[in-house]
Formats: sequence, C-alpha cells, structure tokens
Amino acid sequence: MSLYPAFARPRDLGQAAEIMGSLSTGAMIIAGGQEVMPSVNYGALMPEVYIDVGQIAALKGISEENGAIQIGSFTVHRDVQQSDVIQNNLPLLSYAAAQIGGGMQVHNRGTIGGNIVSMHPLYDILPSLLALGADVDILKDGDEQRMALADLMKDASHGLGSESLLVRVLLKPMTPDAGWAYEKLKITAGGYGSANAAAIVTLDSDKITSLRIIVGAVSALPVDISDALSDCRGQAWSEHLAGEIEAKASAAIKDPLSDHQGDGDWRRAMAGVMARRAIEAAVKRAG
Amino acid sequence: MEDMLEDTVLVNLRINGRLHELETPAHKSLLDLLREDLNLTGTHMGCMTGHCGACTVSIDGRVAKSCITLAATLGRAKITTIEGLAQDDGTLSALQQAFWDSAGFQCGYCAPGMLLCTAELLETNPDPSDADIDTALAGNLCRCTGYQSIRRAVKAAINTTKEGAPQAAE
Repeated sequence: MSLYPAFARPRDLGQAAEIMGSLSTGAMIIAGGQEVMPSVNYGALMPEVYIDVGQIAALKGISEENGAIQIGSFTVHRDVQQSDVIQNNLPLLSYAAAQIGGGMQVHNRGTIGGNIVSMHPLYDILPSLLALGADVDILKDGDEQRMALADLMKDASHGLGSESLLVRVLLKPMTPDAGWAYEKLKITAGGYGSANAAAIVTLDSDKITSLRIIVGAVSALPVDISDALSDCRGQAWSEHLAGEIEAKASAAIKDPLSDHQGDGDWRRAMAGVMARRAIEAAVKRAG
Repeated sequence: MEDMLEDTVLVNLRINGRLHELETPAHKSLLDLLREDLNLTGTHMGCMTGHCGACTVSIDGRVAKSCITLAATLGRAKITTIEGLAQDDGTLSALQQAFWDSAGFQCGYCAPGMLLCTAELLETNPDPSDADIDTALAGNLCRCTGYQSIRRAVKAAINTTKEGAPQAAE
C-alpha cells in the first residue's frame, strides 16, 4: 500500500461497479470535490483510492420525458439553477440550488449528487428534494435500484456506503398552481443556514388544500413536518394560523442540533419561524 | 482491477493560454499544482476548506476554489489564474485597473478571488445590481473587511468594461 492515494477513472457505470466492488472502504468517490476535499485538507478523511466519476456520461445532464424529470448526480448546482427544464417545472429546486453556500465557485463545481450523499444537516438541497418527493437511482452490487429519497435519508450516520453510487435524481414536475418557497436563516451571504424550510402548498380559493413542509439545518437530518401541520388544510392564511404553524413546527423538532450556528432551544424556535415564513410565502405565490 | 489504479495522472491543462502537460499525484490539489509546480503564486492559499475564496481560479470559464479541486480530475481544462488577467508586459486589465483606482483591496490577499469572480459576473451580467454583486462575491472573504470599497471597485469596473475594455485571457 502506497503512502499516497491512488486514482481510478471508470468510463461507465459497469466499470464503476467493478472498481467499487473490488476496493475496500478506503475508496472515496469524487465528483466536484466540494465535500470531499475540505474533509481531506482538514485531515478528517484519508482516502486510499479516489474514484473519479467525472468521465461517466450516465451521471450527467438534465432531461424531461413523459412528465418525468431526471437529473444526473454529476450535475452541478449552477446547471440546476439555470436549466430551463428545472426553472419551468421545478422552480423550488432551481431557487434552492441558488441559495447553496460557498459562493459562485461552489455552485460551479458542487454536484447535486455530492450534496445529497454527504447528508450534511446544514446543506440546502435536501429539504426541497424531500418536499418534492424525489426518488433516486442507486448503483449497488452492479445493479441499479430505485428508492424514495426519504427512505435513503433515514440514517445520516451511514449514508450510501462506499459500495454504492448515486446515479440520478428523479422528480415529477410541480403542478402549475402550486405555491412554493425556500426560506433560509443565515448570518452571512455565502454561509450555512441556522434553520431552513421548503414548502409547497396548493389552494382552493384562499384555503390550503395540500401542504408539504420540510425543515432543515435544525436536526441531524431534515424533518418532514407535513403531518404535524395537517390542521392547516381547509384554513385560509391568517395571523392566527401563522402563530399555530410556528408553535407546531417548533414542537415537531424533537432533537435539535446545538452547534456554532446556535444552541438547541434557539434552533427549535427558528425552525418554527422558517416554517411560518416558508408557508406564508408559498401561500402568497399560490394565491 | 489493480491495472485501473494509477498513482499519478496525466493532465493537459491550458493555463493562461499556455499548454502544460503534467504528471500529477492523485492527491494533489489544483492550488498546490499551480503554486508548487508552476510557480503561479498569485493564487493564494487561505483556509484550505473552501470558505475564503483566496485560491479562486477560472476552470473552463467558471470560477472554482482551487484548494478543493483535485488536479487529477481536470483532464484537459482551460484555466485562468490571476496572472492571466494582466497582459504579458504587466499592463493591468481594465478590471484590475478599476480595482486599483478604487482601492478595491487593502492587503490584497483576497484579490485573486474578488477579481476572477467579478470577471465572470461581468461576462454573464454586464449590468449587475448591488445584490447581484454581493451574490457573485459571496464565496470570497476579505479579512480587512473592505467590502464597501470592493463593491465600489466592481461598479467602476462595470463602467470601464461597458466601454469595451479587454477581458481575461483565454
């Protein structure tokens, strides 16, 4: 074993599966490097082999066919922001991709796949993808498996595992009448959020008929609080409803993060504030 | 499977217009390649975690943080560093001159990132608002906290580039 890491460049998914199957847990998939490299430079990760997936065409591009939208896992945030397909069909995702921290440089190289598999609690894409009900295709043991992103996200401590590769994200277009919003509480322009929330609502005249609301950056994983706020259905927006949303959203955060972004009690309170703001903005957009 | 593993990787990078064929170790960042192998020390090492933006370069026309870019992944990329903005005789580009005239840097450590991000901003959006400027520079930290003068410098650059001044070298 060399003191320094080795490098592998699979040209297609078959080669990628072959390489991943033959290597130990010391192998690290690298795409844009925006998650892996800070951890390597910081000394938290010491890969024995980098598997560069940048040559694999199947991981690239955004397409729409028969009402199904596919985003290759190697697609960078800038392309998600600017894609006509995403802007027209998934404006929430396009907007959320523009709120990712780290500035234009990270938007240009960071990939949607890397953002998902890092399962970082403070990252910006997951709440919107979960609100949109995204599915993912995973290459594992040489086969592609489709699963709901929400099922993949149940365990933040294990992630995908070194034998799996996220191939693509699958989404259905938002309905044209849906109102949406992504709210992020942050201290600096390019910084992490201390709390965030993605909301999608539909209205019948002014009454809420459906609500998807995910709160992020306050727990180890984003929390789907749609059920906790199911009482919103049938109600029109009011100051009273705003207060109820804020209180219930805060109460739904059972195990808040407490870190340099803020302590647990404050994070829980801000989860409520973000949920209220996101739903209010989504209702306004739908109305 | 061992034959698919390489200890070093051949990359063909066009850096500031010049072609460099380099055999780079798998673990080397673009920042280290530029500074150590090519002596292009205008690209600054700051935080090494992708927060500060002092190491910013342009890769295939898009800015990136070179400290968190693995050189071996770059293949045949075109790269512009801060050295590529000025002309060969040292004459500053219109963008650099605008920063110089407007005191757009104090210690200068963040300048490569501020300048390259501004260059990309003005290429895609010739008439940016204050909010556009702030968004474009969000990935760059100035520890002298000279953000107001940097924003003034970007506005001065908008005026000079509107007059058709040359942009970054290929």
